[in-house]
Amino acid sequence: MGKSKQTRNHNSDKKKNISKMWKTKRRTKDLDEIHKDMEAANAQKLLHQAVNFDVTGNAQFYCLHCARYFIDQRNLQEHFKTKVHKRRLKQLSEAPYTQEEAERAAGMGSYTRPQKVTVRTQPTEENMSVQ
Amino acid sequence: MRIEKCYFCSAPVYPGHGMMFVRNDCKVFRFCRSKCHKNFKKKRNPRKVRWTKAFRKSAGKELTVDNSFEFEKRRNMPVKYQRELWSKTVEVMKRVQEIKQKRQAKFITNRLKKDKELQTKSDITEVKQNIHLLEAPHAVKPKKLEPKLVQTVQEDMEMTEGS
Repeated sequence: MGKSKQTRNHNSDKKKNISKMWKTKRRTKDLDEIHKDMEAANAQKLLHQAVNFDVTGNAQFYCLHCARYFIDQRNLQEHFKTKVHKRRLKQLSEAPYTQEEAERAAGMGSYTRPQKVTVRTQPTEENMSVQ
Repeated sequence: MRIEKCYFCSAPVYPGHGMMFVRNDCKVFRFCRSKCHKNFKKKRNPRKVRWTKAFRKSAGKELTVDNSFEFEKRRNMPVKYQRELWSKTVEVMKRVQEIKQKRQAKFITNRLKKDKELQTKSDITEVKQNIHLLEAPHAVKPKKLEPKLVQTVQEDMEMTEGS
């Protein structure tokens, strides 16, 4: 920890109002929710969504791990190569934190370290055709 | 009434204290104070934040696996009130707490023992590497005097032999 990880927010519109970002009003998905999404049945649903004109890219290009919609296949592929996505994969590589773990840490039962989870970026149609 | 544990820092949450956040999938998160709530909103991982119990335990700073942790647990089983049982448990709780504290303290002292060993090891290597700094600057001069000293000593010896 130590040093703040926040860098390069001079021209970023997203980080203009930090306190608003942290409000629970427009809360983005938590890691444990994404872990649930990664289960095969849920993943199938999220990756093959019906066309929805209200969502970015008609809800056709979704990154499962970052819980984000993209406008087209190319942008989705570009996103897989970014640091944001790779960092997210690393965060997801441990079992999600739960209330039970908090209780075990507080001395209610023995504490065991979280298990490792192997996470890979979702296979895309282009990649599938290459393979 | 139940004393809950904080989701973020694992501190006890007494009734009327802290706050409860219910996510839109009905999952309940309790926080002991605004500090923990704010950190949750920032999506920090309690395992990575130094001051939480989860960090202390997952990083091996504190005792994690022990039988003394098996007493306090969420059992979800109603127990019928018995005066004798209650008075006994109150007595036992004190004793258990004593044992728990002793074991935890012992774990920490044992953990810190290793540091002392490593410290002495590193000290020895440092001295060995920089031993040249310890030599006195005048250490060379007496050597120059030595031949003269030897001469005088030899002369003395001859004198004594001659007499």
